[in-house]
Amino acid sequence: MLQAIWDNIKGLYSLLVGMSITGRYLLSPVETIHYPRQVVADEIMASFRGPIQLTKGKKDPAQTRCISCQMCVKACPGHCLSVTKGDTKAPAQWLYDFSYCCLCGACVETCPTGALEFSHKVYLVTLTREELILDLLADLQKRAAILPESQPVPTANLAPPTVPDVESIGEPK
Amino acid sequence: MTGCNLGFINPLSVLENPGTMAGDFYSRNFEKKAVPGRIILNLGPQHPSTHGVLRVLCELDGEYVARCEPVLGYLHRMHEKMGEVKTPWQFLPNLGRIDYLHPLAWNWAFVGAAEKLAGLTVPPRAEWLRLIGCELNRVGSHLLWWGAFVMDLGGFTPILYAFEEREKINDILQIITGSRLTMSNFRFGGVCADGDSRFFRLIQEFIPYLRERLKMYKGLVTDNVILRRRLEGIGPIDVDMCQRYGATGPILRAAGSPRDTRQDYPYGVYDQVDFPIPTGPVNDSFGRYLVRLVEIETSLSIVEQALKAIPEGPIMMEKAPKVTWKLPAGESYMAVEGARGQICVHLVSDGGQTPYRVKLRAPGFSNLSLFAEAAQGTILADAIAILGSLDLVIPEVDR
Ligand code: SF4
Ligand code: SF4
Repeated sequence: MLQAIWDNIKGLYSLLVGMSITGRYLLSPVETIHYPRQVVADEIMASFRGPIQLTKGKKDPAQTRCISCQMCVKACPGHCLSVTKGDTKAPAQWLYDFSYCCLCGACVETCPTGALEFSHKVYLVTLTREELILDLLADLQKRAAILPESQPVPTANLAPPTVPDVESIGEPK
Repeated sequence: MTGCNLGFINPLSVLENPGTMAGDFYSRNFEKKAVPGRIILNLGPQHPSTHGVLRVLCELDGEYVARCEPVLGYLHRMHEKMGEVKTPWQFLPNLGRIDYLHPLAWNWAFVGAAEKLAGLTVPPRAEWLRLIGCELNRVGSHLLWWGAFVMDLGGFTPILYAFEEREKINDILQIITGSRLTMSNFRFGGVCADGDSRFFRLIQEFIPYLRERLKMYKGLVTDNVILRRRLEGIGPIDVDMCQRYGATGPILRAAGSPRDTRQDYPYGVYDQVDFPIPTGPVNDSFGRYLVRLVEIETSLSIVEQALKAIPEGPIMMEKAPKVTWKLPAGESYMAVEGARGQICVHLVSDGGQTPYRVKLRAPGFSNLSLFAEAAQGTILADAIAILGSLDLVIPEVDR
């Protein structure tokens, strides 16, 4: 009987200890981020591997470096790429089915011309599965248009491929 | 018996009418004939206190578990078969998905087996990066287990703290792997990305931070009398039982046997770091709890040593294998220590485009096998505590 009462007192005491700890942490600053009022810092996003995208051309940013060699198509374990060759070496159509992509990087690492890179998009949301089939050539044109024309492609040759394009980091889609 | 009424089980109708077709194949064949006063309870596959889609059939006598049996296969994804139809490189992303809590250990097991078979040498910096990643990942896995285990027992708050730490680890690992879950930065002959100054700075900040938090964990959970009463003396598992079922990892170490693949069969650069193997003071659920918390500290000290020892240099061997790389004919075997026990990969190749056979040995499968024996005769709530203390990851058990 006495033992039971003593046990309950001990249990109550450790409950109070736990409550005081949680109380202390309740008053400490919030660790989470309230999307969409806040977004994750670009510094963290820089190393995130989002859906792949075509890299901007060296001379003309809207021009892809892809030579339609089909290496990436063969390398992809998820069969999510389809590159259609045009009249020249440049592809006429570049489709990417993100719903099958496992972000493994096989395509990025096999491409002989460095035409592919990971983007840093984390906010890609669609309502239908079809919208996840991305037209990367159109996407490249869109990104190239954002860059002001007068400005030369900043340090494109100096920067290692892991350094992100500033305008694409963490932008809500 | 034909006609499988999946998912529906009404224990009462089984009792009243032993020949009834209620239940599915497992529950109908579980009890050979109805015993008065006993009911069959179906825990899972979506029960909140089992992890993932594990299903446990329990025969209850009052509140006591007379017999129980795990039913597997709800998350079978044919990883071994996929290994046979894809080139080794293409199979790499699968490994992060087998055990999503400690993906880098699985990476290491498969990549290590292929490297052994082909005789590839890995540059030293890559070896150290692998070690740092793997140990941080182990800390993250144990932290998540810690939160989920206490949540199984009814304490909700700790998992929120555990996630805070885990997110910090993910921030660090994201720099070298590019992702926060299903990581895969191992390549044949190296790793895919180097750690930058931010990577090493974050680790250096994280280690003292986590040591501080571990003290808080002790006050909040470990010293809590209520938790201790739920764990102490519950589900003792001795070395003999571990050996009969092939259980490894923290369960075996808590039983008192200091077996750790990292020291018994050193791979990578584990022979160059110095760390103790924690063994449990007791072999019950609380012992397994304590062993994992000590292992977090051990991993932190390994990472500290690695930060001092990591050399400069390349992270990929020259002429590293490409996506179309073929394994040479032969077979190889690699065992690594995952967060849940010994992970083994047996790789057989006939020199073709894809491996002939990829056998994956998941520690969770063996650890789960002993649950039926360990839980026999306990109260149902204690069986849940035992199940939680085994640290199961169902995708890994089912593969
Ligand atoms: S990242 Fe992997 S899965 Fe995704 S498109 Fe490239 S090769 Fe295919
Ligand atoms: S591997 Fe590169 S160059 Fe070849 S098709 Fe793919 S993106 Fe184009």
